[in-house]
Amino acid sequence: MAKDVKPTRKNLMAIEDRIELSERGHGTLEKKRDGLIMEFMDILDKAQDVRSGLSDDYEEAQKKINMARAMDGDVAVRGAAAALQEHPEITTEAKNIMGVVVPQIESSRVSKSVDQRGYGIMGTSARIDEAAEAYEDLLESVILAAEVETAMKKMLREIETTKRRVNALEFKLLPDLYDSQEYIEQKLEEQEREEIFRLKKIKEKKEQEEKAERADTDDEPESGDELEQATAGGLPGGD
Amino acid sequence: MSARASNPEYVNARVRSRRAVLFADEDYRKLIRMGPSEIARFMEETEYEREINALGTRFSGVDLIEYALNRNLAKHFDDLLDWSEGRLYDLIGRYLRKFDVWNVKTIIRGIYTETPTEEVSTDLIRAGELPDSTLDRLLEVDEIDDVIEILGGTVFYEPLSEAYQEFEETGALVSLENALDREFYEHLLDDLGRPQEGPDALYVEFLEAEIDFLNARNALRLARSGADLDPAAYYIEGGVLFTQAELSRLVGNYDELVDHIADSGRYGDRLGGALARLREADSLIQFEHAMDAALLEYADTLSSIYPVSVSAVLSYILAKEREVENIRAIARGREVGLTEAEIEDELVIL
Repeated sequence: MAKDVKPTRKNLMAIEDRIELSERGHGTLEKKRDGLIMEFMDILDKAQDVRSGLSDDYEEAQKKINMARAMDGDVAVRGAAAALQEHPEITTEAKNIMGVVVPQIESSRVSKSVDQRGYGIMGTSARIDEAAEAYEDLLESVILAAEVETAMKKMLREIETTKRRVNALEFKLLPDLYDSQEYIEQKLEEQEREEIFRLKKIKEKKEQEEKAERADTDDEPESGDELEQATAGGLPGGD
Repeated sequence: MSARASNPEYVNARVRSRRAVLFADEDYRKLIRMGPSEIARFMEETEYEREINALGTRFSGVDLIEYALNRNLAKHFDDLLDWSEGRLYDLIGRYLRKFDVWNVKTIIRGIYTETPTEEVSTDLIRAGELPDSTLDRLLEVDEIDDVIEILGGTVFYEPLSEAYQEFEETGALVSLENALDREFYEHLLDDLGRPQEGPDALYVEFLEAEIDFLNARNALRLARSGADLDPAAYYIEGGVLFTQAELSRLVGNYDELVDHIADSGRYGDRLGGALARLREADSLIQFEHAMDAALLEYADTLSSIYPVSVSAVLSYILAKEREVENIRAIARGREVGLTEAEIEDELVIL
């Protein structure tokens, strides 16, 4: 609160420094917020495409595996899946977008050629190949969606945090600082006016005292003459 | 090989009665309109009654239907081997060895993934030559090299032993599975020569077609995948459509490969429509479907021309397999919500 601040010049200078810093910070954070929003909109577009692609890939994979289970039998499909030897690997690296650390996910051994899936080619059918391929595509889509949507969530969190900071500066901190500044300035002005008035009063009083002193000093010599005159004239008080 | 005289007349007489109860087109049309539980009830009133009832306490829904179909298939083909003697037994046995291949693969996959023995046992189709006792021993072991040891004395022992080295290096089952499949196909035409007429000629022609279609499928899959593989590793001797050198060359050029099949005098007409769709759609599924239909048609021709021969028995084997696959396709298709039209497109019916 403004009235909690001691109205001194030193505090006024400190508050003015804080205002300058806060205004600079406010400007920077606003730019950061706007930049993050622009990046977020790009990622949002990408995330929408990726999510839609993911749904399509899921439908396709379900359809293919259903056909494979129907035509080749559930036992054959499970058997082919059981032969899988190499499992996909995922590595993550960090990427920086406007100060937000987002993951970059790299995958390997997701898409495989027909000889890398582990099942014998002679004893299986193209249906199983197509079902496996569809699930590999789905897995690639899932990995991409994980990367993009995680980045999106982190960006969103950062935008919220930055917005809160901008708003806190704009609607709380800076107004309080301005209030404090105004209060101190007013108080200092008031003190100055009082000081001036006080000094003026002191000056007036001094002048009056000096005047009075001067007046006293003039009176004293007049009394001595009067006494001489009285003595000389036989005034009572003389012989 | 059985030392007794062959008995095709007896076996074919019994096969004819079995063939009479195979599902007809109208049965499939009824099934397509039913849900999975209705299909199971329908099957209870047919040839599959015993299996549905036996497995009904352990399974339900489409799993019940699939396991019941497999068990019924195994029973029928076991009966064929029980009835057959002499050369007929040998010829049927070598064809049914595909189920031994399936079973050994299933057991090896079960060991690889540490699947419980009971689950693996349920997935077996006991329709091949290997006796139940051998399969039960295989189910008890925990290591793949123990499986190979138990198969000592069978045709699978050597190829599996050779492929086991590659398995140890790569950790992938593909070498073992390919070795099993190759062994099955490469022995199909053993000691048959190339007869020019009679039932054996048609039988050989059918087996050649099966090998040619397998080579074509593998070649197309390899070509489409773009994988850097040695096509020779997947070539099966015995067909007439490709030589090994031709296949190696054609795998690198998808369009030329399709043209080569289309230009074939033996198969061009039967597969022409499917090849045209293959060029447009770039999906092998319809092509495989067309090959299955062509094989079924081939087999049906065998039974009508020489009704008292191994050809007729082979025709029944394919027809029974096709019935099982069609019913399974309908049941699974209905389970996952495929439309009637989509299911009908996938059925292979004469």
